[in-house]
Amino acid sequence: MNLLQIRKPSTSFALPFKHRTVGKRVLITNTEGNFLLLQPDEFRAFAEGSIGRESELYKRLAERNFVRGAENQERMVERIQARKSFLSYGPNLHIIVVTLRCNETCVYCHASRANMDAVHTDLTKELAEKTVDKILATTNPNVTIEFQGGEPLVNFGVVKHIIEYALEANKKVGKQLEFTMVSNLSLMDDEKLEYLVKNKVQICTSIDGPEHIHDKQRKLPQASAHQKATYWIKRINQEYERIGLDPTLYHVEALLTTTREALPQWKAIVDTYVSLGCKALFLRPVDPFGFADKTGHRIEYPRKEYMHFYTSAVEYMLELNKQGVQILERFAAIFLTKILGGEDPNFLDIRNPCGAGIGQIAYNYDGKVFTCDEGRMLHEMGDSTFLIGDVETTSYRDLMGHETVRALAIASNLEAQPDCVNCTYQPYCGVCPVHNHKSQGTIFGRMRESTLCAVHKGIQDFLFEKLGEGDPATLETFKKWTTVRDRTHFLQSCAV
Amino acid sequence: MPVTFDGIPGDLVEVELDRGAMSLQVDETLYPLEAVYAAAYVFIDRCYVFLDKPSEGRIRVTLSGKKAKLEGDLARETVGEFANELLSCAWRAQIARDSRATIESVTARALSGARGAPSLDELEAFDFSEEAFDDPLGIAMSWEEKYAKKKKEGAAPAEEPAKADGGAAK
Repeated sequence: MNLLQIRKPSTSFALPFKHRTVGKRVLITNTEGNFLLLQPDEFRAFAEGSIGRESELYKRLAERNFVRGAENQERMVERIQARKSFLSYGPNLHIIVVTLRCNETCVYCHASRANMDAVHTDLTKELAEKTVDKILATTNPNVTIEFQGGEPLVNFGVVKHIIEYALEANKKVGKQLEFTMVSNLSLMDDEKLEYLVKNKVQICTSIDGPEHIHDKQRKLPQASAHQKATYWIKRINQEYERIGLDPTLYHVEALLTTTREALPQWKAIVDTYVSLGCKALFLRPVDPFGFADKTGHRIEYPRKEYMHFYTSAVEYMLELNKQGVQILERFAAIFLTKILGGEDPNFLDIRNPCGAGIGQIAYNYDGKVFTCDEGRMLHEMGDSTFLIGDVETTSYRDLMGHETVRALAIASNLEAQPDCVNCTYQPYCGVCPVHNHKSQGTIFGRMRESTLCAVHKGIQDFLFEKLGEGDPATLETFKKWTTVRDRTHFLQSCAV
Repeated sequence: MPVTFDGIPGDLVEVELDRGAMSLQVDETLYPLEAVYAAAYVFIDRCYVFLDKPSEGRIRVTLSGKKAKLEGDLARETVGEFANELLSCAWRAQIARDSRATIESVTARALSGARGAPSLDELEAFDFSEEAFDDPLGIAMSWEEKYAKKKKEGAAPAEEPAKADGGAAK
């Protein structure tokens, strides 16, 4: 769309909107997150205000609150409230690093793992209890405790202690409690699995694609990390089925960290996930934290190449869905839920403002508390900018009132961010101040030079292009990807 | 020996390779001082940063590498990045003013939602006294209190007290 073709832009017809050329159409969005994909001549008429009130285009625009004088303010308020509902609740994701020790060595390890003999990096039971007390003091009625590491199975005794202590302590406060664990699964055994299944702990792991890529990136001494992980994924999924859970809802979640070597392997990666019974695949690019900061010259890549990888993989997944295979891409599902569903799925890394402090908190093995896991990762690299207190000495309210929490809430507000403030994707997007701080030296960041922004914009360009193409099968799949289905089995029963 | 970089205006950027430092001149009418401070601050982990005013309407920012001398591609990259950061800070300052109401209301709602109401113990510990902080300069005192105090101590007031109408009646 050549803007020079707009002869007399009208200042009185349209309500405030943002626009962007996507494929052969012009995308317009407004503050409440409504969108329309217009043909160039439609956009010209819209910008010039030369649309008859009886026309079909006028109705489409008015319905979505793009026309001045035809706006439905009540609906506008409802939509904005729905998108910002998370603001009132406080942190619901609480990440506990139960140890830094890990038996695998990953080329990109964001967590800055420690060797297996570094027992001083194990969380103690005493600190674990204080951590749980702090977590249950949150204002949010829904609490997810996520066990991370290092490798949490290395300090499984403390994991069990946290679960039992939290369940007991929660009887007094009555939070809607959930437990999740991020594990490489190589130290799993039948006894641990029985405990985790019995206590309804969701299990998440990493699969970096087919065996040769996974094992090259994730080294497990004298064994194949891939074989271990895939064995236990199948075994856990079988266990879920054995106790009567619906396999389409209850299965091990797996995450991919995309390295340079993975880029040409998009098809093999998708096939690997499908063959493992995974219903979702999160095509995450590598982050600049932990070991990835040092190995970047070997594993990083221009984001243009990543976008080629991403679009190829998602096109293939769309084809598989047409054939009846159920597999979704997590980035796409998050954005589509906001775009088509009109709600925010509360994914803390793509939220406005982001979840640092006000949506999530990370608790280190030594009792130190951080705004988020990325902030904790930076601390392990020697930068404690995002440290906000200690479970032993800082009250919950003081953690939330910390100036760093406030600064991050402001820095990740897209209304305060150059580029984002005018971006068509503002209603659906989010920034990461910790990523900005690490990669550009400022929590505000410069979005035009940000790799994260390139990925978010690139994915949304792709999704809107697909929406614009209007293929019924694709639209049907996208609609399915936005359907959030509660996995109630994982909710702990609570009593006050 | 001053040199220039390809694609970067020579009258704005001056580089002295032998000193490993470079200076960038900023037009004060284009960039507010707060933006210059904000952009300069982003560089303090890798550079020593000096600000001065070589002439009216111009601010000079001198960047000197902390660990490595700024020369060649590194120097060009650093000055280019500074210029981009400066633009970003200038625009952000403007946006923050324009969107202040939205930013404040979202931040207040997020923080109050996350902090919740204070507990009884916290309320009990809260300092409700009128002397909540030290005020050695008497900034928080009313004019009457401040003036009366000085008079009592025998010190002459610094200046004649202002008229209630601000002196406009003179």
